[in-house]
Amino acid sequence: MLAILKAENIGMTYESGLIIKKRHSIFQGISLEIEEGHTLGLIGPSGAGKTTLGMILAGLERPSSGCVLYRGEDIWKLKGINYLAYRRGVQMVFQDPEGSLNPRKSIERSIHEVLRYINIPQREWKDKARQALEMVGLSEELLCRYPGQISGGQSQRAALSRVLLLNPKVIILDEPTSALDISVQAQILVLLKDLQKNLGLAYLLISHQPEVIDFMAHNKAVLESGGIRHESILPQGGGARPDPL
Amino acid sequence: MSRLGAAPIDDPLLRVEGLSVSFDTAMGRVRAAQDVCLDLLKGETLAIVGETGCGKSVVANSILQLIPGNASVQGRVIFSGRDLLSLSEREMAEIRGREIAIVFQNPSLALNPIIKAEEQIAEPLQIHSHLPRSLSIQMAKDMLRRLGLGVGGVAESFPFQLSGGMNQRVMIAAAMILSPRIIIADEPSKGLDRLLARQVAEELSGLRDKMDASLLLITHDLLLARDISDRISVMYSGEVVETGESQAVFDHPLHPYTKALLDCLPQRGFHPIPGASPSMIDPPGGCKFYPRCRYKHDKCMQRPDMTEKRCPNEGMDREVRCWLY
Amino acid sequence: MSEINPGLDTDAIAMAIHEGEESKCKKDGEGRTALARFIKKTSWAAKASGLGLALFSSFLAMAALSSLLAPYDPWIRFEPYLWPGEEHLLGTNDLGQDILSELIYGSRVSLIVGFGAALMATIIGTAVGLFSGYFKGTVDEILMGLTDIFLMIPQIPLIIVLAAFLRPSFWMVALLMGSLWWTSTARVVRSKALQVSEMGYVRAKRALGFSSLHIMLSDVLPNICHVVMPKFLLSIASAMIAEASISFLGLGDPATKSWGMMINFAFSRGGFINGYWWWYLAPGLCITLFVMSVVLVGHFLEEKEISTLRLE
Repeated sequence: MLAILKAENIGMTYESGLIIKKRHSIFQGISLEIEEGHTLGLIGPSGAGKTTLGMILAGLERPSSGCVLYRGEDIWKLKGINYLAYRRGVQMVFQDPEGSLNPRKSIERSIHEVLRYINIPQREWKDKARQALEMVGLSEELLCRYPGQISGGQSQRAALSRVLLLNPKVIILDEPTSALDISVQAQILVLLKDLQKNLGLAYLLISHQPEVIDFMAHNKAVLESGGIRHESILPQGGGARPDPL
Repeated sequence: MSRLGAAPIDDPLLRVEGLSVSFDTAMGRVRAAQDVCLDLLKGETLAIVGETGCGKSVVANSILQLIPGNASVQGRVIFSGRDLLSLSEREMAEIRGREIAIVFQNPSLALNPIIKAEEQIAEPLQIHSHLPRSLSIQMAKDMLRRLGLGVGGVAESFPFQLSGGMNQRVMIAAAMILSPRIIIADEPSKGLDRLLARQVAEELSGLRDKMDASLLLITHDLLLARDISDRISVMYSGEVVETGESQAVFDHPLHPYTKALLDCLPQRGFHPIPGASPSMIDPPGGCKFYPRCRYKHDKCMQRPDMTEKRCPNEGMDREVRCWLY
Repeated sequence: MSEINPGLDTDAIAMAIHEGEESKCKKDGEGRTALARFIKKTSWAAKASGLGLALFSSFLAMAALSSLLAPYDPWIRFEPYLWPGEEHLLGTNDLGQDILSELIYGSRVSLIVGFGAALMATIIGTAVGLFSGYFKGTVDEILMGLTDIFLMIPQIPLIIVLAAFLRPSFWMVALLMGSLWWTSTARVVRSKALQVSEMGYVRAKRALGFSSLHIMLSDVLPNICHVVMPKFLLSIASAMIAEASISFLGLGDPATKSWGMMINFAFSRGGFINGYWWWYLAPGLCITLFVMSVVLVGHFLEEKEISTLRLE
């Protein structure tokens, strides 16, 4: 299987202090591979640095050591078109659903921003926005609403629809459902699975709930005590589901 | 709304009868709770479970008249022979803290960050029981010790120096210091990780046992509710749809919503409920769950009453609001 | 499927609290006319803001429509030392110029200096604060170091010294004030920008790949506007008073008539001693009223912002 995103010997150290600097190492020597169309689950105790690792892989933070390879190339050395391909190819969805959307902008405006960014002509915006929402199971009535007026699950889906507009290959999901009710959690997880099947997306799923990882992931990695340990789940991947009552 | 048939097992400590709460807002009239009936028996833990926005917090706050003045509240809340909703603010102030205590959701917001923990716990003793300061501080320290926070100078610390879990326990200590007969815990596990949530819940249970109080637990965490409560009431969109013994409701849910909600659990396979919750501003007539229900038929356009169903192999009767029964 | 659940437990309560508080203000509104009833109904805060807005707009109108409002050209000389009377509502000064016309035309200069200095200070300050707060790190250190240097410069003495050496003109005064006063705006904007930059939606935009400049303008700036606006308005007030002070000290442009210059002339030409109160009372009152109106409008904007934030 092709590894689309790879981490090689990533280490992250924070410095604090003005003159005498204290070094605080979060993790060292982290290596992992995300295969195309598959999900890698990342689990570990809180404070272990899962979010930081996610942000490093998404290119939002620079590691103190090691490198991140997208399709074999170091992301911090990419320029021009190649960098753009990476920037669009690897996306991140964050934990706090309301936080991903600007509270002063309606959903419609938030989506239009992205459409403008990817150079879609203005006359197509209305259709594209509707399609984007449909893909995540939201009705177009939500377009005129503001993030504060819709529920957490809907916000999370709206944020996801923006990400999908960029046609990513890898989505890093940082605890996407921890702040949501279990019924909404189920909806979002099933949606993510469907999207993976239909669009061939690869996920790095960060969660503290083992059941979520077992349900979604093909491979599992545990981040603790500054290091990483790889485990595999079921050979066919994706976890077996008991039937409904 | 009266119940059918059987007499209650015990005389309930707290009885909520036909509680309806609605707010007038710019977007319309929000019906947060409709015709809610609950009984809290002596020495039991009753959990009210439901998704965010189903109205469970509104019900809990209404009991102690803690909701804003422009809400319209109907119904009765009977405690010690008096209707709490008809009491004046002064009379309520006597009851709050002393007889019925409430533990709120977010400890960092509910505690004053610049007053020491022990002082905040001791305050109810000074005000309600008029105890001298030194004695009340001593009792506060005792209570903290019982909650496992006796060491490490926690009592003398300020809330901003303590972690979320510790603050949660400080709040519980403050709530229980006067040995109230009823403790209402509003989402005590929110924002805490699983281990801590379980610890907090178990401490609540343990304390409740020791003080022979009753616990009204509001939560959206189904597993937590099942583990520490005796009975469970499931709410959906402002109404109570099912009430019964916790383990029984889990093993054999009767209401279609309860069944669907349990299916969402990771352990049951993450099966989502189709559709979305109805708007509370313009609620559909009839059964609220009708649009999303698997078993619907025409009768569901009318709102069903709460019926009792006898379950011979369970300890007590179940109540369900569904035309199937 | 298409129904929306606004997640109402907490939202409903929050909205209800807000509306409950508002409805308290609208208790009984008896009054004969609609205006009287309206005035009685609104709270003190609203009345104050309304007053501020009214005053502010009338000053703006005075400056814009000077030629229409002023009875005479302020440079024409009539009979000097006239008391306020029918022909000259505020009398004439020692040169025989109509004081009311001077006042009305003077508003132009004072307002231009005020706005000009405030605008310049706000633009520079916002830009510095925005870049500082968004990029953090080295950029932040450099910019804040610069800010500290500028803070060390004593402003009014510098203006006085420069005014004494260079040819005094009100443009120069405005320029100088603008280039020195941006520091406090920069600090305030920086702290708010720091806060907003940490917000989830900024982070999400970065992840989506938007450029930093776009994010700053599109997301951070609108959210710091409500901090910048009151500061801008208060800067206008400070600039105006500074200009008046400088003119009063005789360092302003003698060829233009600002309110400060009017007071200066009143003082130096013996108006105070001789008790010609109409020489200095009117401009003094104008300055006071304008500053007050600016403060009220600023306060009103802040209140509006707070109430919208509460609902969110």
